[in-house]
Amino acid sequence: MSDDGDRRGRFAGLVGLALTRLWKQATRTTSGRLVATVAGVALTVALLLLVTGIALALAGGGIETADDADVRIGPTEETVVASVDGVEGVRLGETNEHAAGIRSDPDVDHASPVLVESARLEPSDGGESRTVLLVGVVPDDEPRTVAGLSTARLEPGDPHYADGAYEGPRAEEIVLSETAAERFEGDPERLVRASDRSDREIGFDVAAVEATDEGHPVALVHLSELQSLAGTERDGLADRLLVWGNSDAATAAGEDRYPDATVQQTTATNPAALFDDELAFATSLIALVVGIGICASFITTTVGMTVEEDRRVLAVLEAIGFPAYSRLAVVGISTLATTLAGAVLGVGLGWLGILAVNRLVEATIAVAHPLFVPYAIGIALVAGLLAVPYPLVVAARTTVLDEVGR
Amino acid sequence: MATLSHRRVGILDRSSVTTRSSETETDAGENRPPAVRLDDVSHEYRLAGGRFRSSTTRSLQALQDVSLDVQPGTIVGIKGPSGSGKSTLLHAVAGLLVPTSGTVSLLGIDLTELSDRRRARVRRRHVGIVFQGFHLLPSLSARANVALPLVGAGVGRTERRRRATELLDAVGLGERTAHLPGELSGGERQRVAIARALVTDPDVIVADEPTGELDTETGATVLELLTELGRNRAVLLASHDATTLSVADRVLSLHDGQVVERER
Repeated sequence: MSDDGDRRGRFAGLVGLALTRLWKQATRTTSGRLVATVAGVALTVALLLLVTGIALALAGGGIETADDADVRIGPTEETVVASVDGVEGVRLGETNEHAAGIRSDPDVDHASPVLVESARLEPSDGGESRTVLLVGVVPDDEPRTVAGLSTARLEPGDPHYADGAYEGPRAEEIVLSETAAERFEGDPERLVRASDRSDREIGFDVAAVEATDEGHPVALVHLSELQSLAGTERDGLADRLLVWGNSDAATAAGEDRYPDATVQQTTATNPAALFDDELAFATSLIALVVGIGICASFITTTVGMTVEEDRRVLAVLEAIGFPAYSRLAVVGISTLATTLAGAVLGVGLGWLGILAVNRLVEATIAVAHPLFVPYAIGIALVAGLLAVPYPLVVAARTTVLDEVGR
Repeated sequence: MATLSHRRVGILDRSSVTTRSSETETDAGENRPPAVRLDDVSHEYRLAGGRFRSSTTRSLQALQDVSLDVQPGTIVGIKGPSGSGKSTLLHAVAGLLVPTSGTVSLLGIDLTELSDRRRARVRRRHVGIVFQGFHLLPSLSARANVALPLVGAGVGRTERRRRATELLDAVGLGERTAHLPGELSGGERQRVAIARALVTDPDVIVADEPTGELDTETGATVLELLTELGRNRAVLLASHDATTLSVADRVLSLHDGQVVERER
């Protein structure tokens, strides 16, 4: 026989042989071990995705993202050069005017700057002062969720703003989170700024107390009133600007108003957030290392046992003229193909697991992201590559005469 | 039996004797080397006596000074009791083992001088092996089993399927190409194994107890197939069954690794 084909043809033949064997084993002959390997990899990958999804939700959580806006506009940290770093976060300027401009877009339902300031408040009828995270917003007729609280109980609009004069009547309303309310003794009806020695007492009537998922001591007030309290009214400063409505139109309007800011649609949590949250990053990193370890161990054990059973097959391949590298290629391809099948199944299971967990606790504690697909497959392949040497060693130690002579 | 003898096996006809080898291209003629030549071949198996290196090792003399020439078109039978060295002799001819001493040449190529990889290539090109236990891959169809040596040779899929289908047709299994070995009878499995041994059109066929696991009638059918398809090739046939050996042109008797008798 002189018609030895080219190397590519031989490799294609080996791939076809390995995959055909796996397929026939799965469907017609001995599926047990194969199913065990695929299931093991799938469960590990699914668990990895679930933990990563929880970590991602953790990273994307907090009051900063506990809203139902379609687009968030925030300052880009890297674009700011400050002489004193780390004193205070970067903020957006002239947010009242820009929000009004964005609201004028017909495809935008509403836009509101969001200012977050901590303040010490105390019940007007006496009692100890407590620190509360005040979140200033501009409510509209529709109930919106900002910082996990509904704007429905706040008077629509921002009358104190008065086109930038900050002389309009104060609504003096506050929506407290349960955690914030619990800080004060005896369900106060009105809270005032602690140690307010000004002529005119600045305070808020408690409009509602609401439960939040996050459990932060947070409260909603009208934006301009908080800006006055914080002294940021001159520059119209706010931490971010939330936009409701058509995402693309809102994004375009935001980018038009703030070309250097970060304009992000909120439909998906950005995986890069993992790197900004130490706990979430550590959790996902541990999940990654443990996932690879378990996956590789499982593949090593089950595929190693499979190869042990396949010694006779490997001996036959040697007897009919398959050189060592061809036999090892068949084992390697089989291992990686099995791993890949497990990874694909694991992605599906992981996705379902995230949905199931969220449904079970009736809250979003884990999020999925399209990047999970290549991530999971990549992790499984790394685990497969780590596991490959053992079955290869078992295969390489197979002695043809011991097997075919039986 | 009658059906087989009349079956058209054109794909395997070897009317003119030529041997082909990239290592030694040799024209048919008087100077053509024998298909198989063994010169003073001895082989010793070392049996470890224990788990540790210091443990004593025993050795077993499997072959002792065996010399043999087999020309194309000749069937050489090898007989002897179990442990007499029949399988070792066939394994040496197939290049599955390198004897402790002596030379084994295939078409003039000294197998004892080659690396494992080159011996595998020579085996793939020039040797077809038929085992007693068939040794088919259980998760591959009959056609895929037959085509297996062509995968190692890098032959394209279409050509592999064509040759394997033709060969299965030639051995009377044209209707069972998609069957798995587990779905075939013993005789059918051995016919698939014979087709696999012949798919690379080898110059030498080694058959180790090819009828050992078959009943008398099926064994006779397989034997006829093997001798018919093995025409113009060198065939080495190991068996301790007299009926099987009756098809041989010459018979060697082995005992304790030594040739004790040469018949015909």
